[in-house]
Amino acid sequence: MSRFLLKRLAIMPLLLLGVVTIAFVISRLLPANPIASIVGQRNLGNEVIVAAAEKKWGLDQPLIVQYFNYISNLFTGDLGTSFVTKSPVLSDLADRLPATLELTIMALVIGAVGGILLGVISAARKDKIPDHLSRLFALIGSSLPIFWTGLLFLFVFYAQLGIAAGPGRLTARVIAPNHVTGFYTIDALLMGNVALFWDAFVHLLLPAFIMGWGLMGTISRLVRASMLDELGADYVRTVRAKGVSEGQVLRGHVLRNSLTPVVTVLGFAFGTLLMGAVLVETIFSWNGIGSYAVEATRALDYPAINGVSLLGGAVFLIANLVTDVTYALVDPRVRLS
Amino acid sequence: MKKRTLSAAIAAVAITTLALAGCSSGLATTSGAERQLVIARAMDVQTLDPQRGYCDTCQIVFSALYETLLTVDPSDATKLLPRLATEWTNNEDFTSFTFTLSPDAVFSDGSPVEATDVKFSLERLLNLQGSASFLMAGLESIEAPDAGTVIVNFTAPNSAFLAIVAAPYTGVVNQEVVEAAGAASGEDAATADTSEEWFLSNSAGSGAYTLASYEAGQSIELTRNDEFWGAKPTFPSVLINEVTDSSSQLQQLQQGDVDIAMQISPDSIAQLEGNAAITTELVDSFNYVYLMLAPGAEGGEVLDDPKVREAIKYAINYDKVIDATVAGKGKTQASPIPNGFEGSEGLEEPAYDPEKAKELLAEAGVADGFTIASAYPKFAVYGVDFDVMMQSIQQDLVEVGINLELQPLEYTQWAEGLGTGGSPITTVYFAPDHTDSSQYVSYFGMLPTGAWSATASVDGAVTNKAEEEGLALALTQSGADREATYNALGQEMADDLIILPIVNPQLVLAHASDVSGVAYSPCCNLDLATLGLK
Repeated sequence: MSRFLLKRLAIMPLLLLGVVTIAFVISRLLPANPIASIVGQRNLGNEVIVAAAEKKWGLDQPLIVQYFNYISNLFTGDLGTSFVTKSPVLSDLADRLPATLELTIMALVIGAVGGILLGVISAARKDKIPDHLSRLFALIGSSLPIFWTGLLFLFVFYAQLGIAAGPGRLTARVIAPNHVTGFYTIDALLMGNVALFWDAFVHLLLPAFIMGWGLMGTISRLVRASMLDELGADYVRTVRAKGVSEGQVLRGHVLRNSLTPVVTVLGFAFGTLLMGAVLVETIFSWNGIGSYAVEATRALDYPAINGVSLLGGAVFLIANLVTDVTYALVDPRVRLS
Repeated sequence: MKKRTLSAAIAAVAITTLALAGCSSGLATTSGAERQLVIARAMDVQTLDPQRGYCDTCQIVFSALYETLLTVDPSDATKLLPRLATEWTNNEDFTSFTFTLSPDAVFSDGSPVEATDVKFSLERLLNLQGSASFLMAGLESIEAPDAGTVIVNFTAPNSAFLAIVAAPYTGVVNQEVVEAAGAASGEDAATADTSEEWFLSNSAGSGAYTLASYEAGQSIELTRNDEFWGAKPTFPSVLINEVTDSSSQLQQLQQGDVDIAMQISPDSIAQLEGNAAITTELVDSFNYVYLMLAPGAEGGEVLDDPKVREAIKYAINYDKVIDATVAGKGKTQASPIPNGFEGSEGLEEPAYDPEKAKELLAEAGVADGFTIASAYPKFAVYGVDFDVMMQSIQQDLVEVGINLELQPLEYTQWAEGLGTGGSPITTVYFAPDHTDSSQYVSYFGMLPTGAWSATASVDGAVTNKAEEEGLALALTQSGADREATYNALGQEMADDLIILPIVNPQLVLAHASDVSGVAYSPCCNLDLATLGLK
């Protein structure tokens, strides 16, 4: 296990360098001009303003010089300054990552818990109405586009019924908690402010549910199939023959063995959800990595694009590593090499 | 035993949830006893440095944090009022302007606003070579003979300067404070100035508000300036929240989570009718969306004949386009000088006449029509979705035999195309930087400095002598003479048939009914200091 971990950790920097290089090259090869977003459309014909902007942002340098400057700065932890926010990219990412992490973790919890529950119900009541309803619910979540669901749910539950919290991480006018982790829920609890925790929590629910609904579908199908396989196994027949209740058979034996593939899916889903939160963040005015990535792409904000690519690469690599290790811990038959 | 543990756990979770559900009190709000004004807006802010910024939201924020020498009369865009300057004069040919500063004006740290601060700010605006630096083009020198007097000299007549110093981009900063933060105003300011990051969390103005916090892409919060020398604003603080989607803005206004929603689409107004808690108003604006015809661009040769360009002008069903884009809440416009600006009166509005368009095409020798490309940025501004607008125009042009091949592009991609010749037909928008009509002639006129003159002919850049001389004349004039000159310039630009204004959208003001003073400001979009409670 240790050798496996060391090997994977050792290769990570090389892989990340590759990711950043590819992002650098692709963004520069695009037939698009970042100066337009820096100086504004009105000034594109003003040679003095354009030249000053190019000089300020190093865009007048040859590409190879820009690349080596970027990579050498990277080794000192300097990810450059965003064309759009005018702040260091590292601090932009640090400011926004907790918002996306909080949302992603909640979405993962909702997706995992909901998916496992639906999967168990479906397996236990195979081909009966609860099975059909569970599968329909999961299918809808997997099929509907997130932006449509998000807008619809906001319209119905927030605007019309008033039973859900609106866009944003907190109600307007509410002061955010003192920054410790950047997770509003945790920071509110650390302050001992239960009302603030609840406000942050209820604002998380709707966007996290929208994000997690698709995952729920995937996990429920996986759990159902896995449990049905296990339910046909010899050891289950033996346990039943011993007089154990059906509920205990499901909870104590079958479910545990059925969750192994779920671990893999969750690991992959974490990375996908984290970097794919852009639509939800836009609709729910959630100032996270997703919306930052969209702004960066639209403005062709090179430093921010590279920074988000680096973060995305790191997230996927770490998530995959954690998944592999967890899989080995959960299933003793698995050996890492 | 296990069953009891599970039941106990469920009971504990249920009790905790119920307890939390009841905890709606105890939330600290930013205003305490007084109400904070919350505004929902899709922000386009990239900097909070007043001498670098250039955006609609910047106008709102800068005019609250910093004061300009003059300001625009809210009820008459052609009239200027005192602000930091109580008196002002100019020499006969508008090359020198003298301002007398109010002795009462103080910055947020209590120090007086002096002539050297004005000199520093205006020179910095020019020398930073930022997006709004063109406003100080032609500056020769600025003198500060005493603490209360500023003399600004230009190399050439510039009667527009009085309107320019009412623009939020000319806001005055506290020289001492910003220099300590790395600001510079000398000729090397573009490289020597290192203060931009400082402005992201600080302000140094004399306006009614100071900057409390800024989170890029999320919010800007301003708090009342306790040292403000003018009338104390009603709201102790203002929070501008980033809400990108106009339907989300509408929902938040309906739920009472925000007081003002700045970009509600015109077709949403009906949803707010009958809601006594919300007031909506449609007001005329000076913003507009236009088509640009470029005979000099690749594939645009057919446009070199003015009859073809005029045919396009007649072929567009402007009422239909306005209905499709802003639900009819907009107007046509005769020339690049917008309705309500000096020089816009009495010019002939564009008319829809497809038969006339066909006649003109026949005269030009293209009776069978032609195919032409149109690459344009995928904007949605002031309620106008460019995709919808261009599709509507495409349908109109087909009726006269012109096949418009639409190529919607991301903004940066479209801008890259401009640098390599551009598209034969494209579309952009324009919002005023200040209240003088010279900006429209400088930008849209067929002048060496004009943005679109380089592609106005297959033979290369075009210079319209009448426009060049007319602008130079207007900059030496005032009053009725200047208005007449701009009127003639407006007609010239309309006759160029390079810039075709399509829609001048009205703005939707939507706000909580107890908030007063919400109005469209021609200089600042929304003047926060004048907002109050009924």
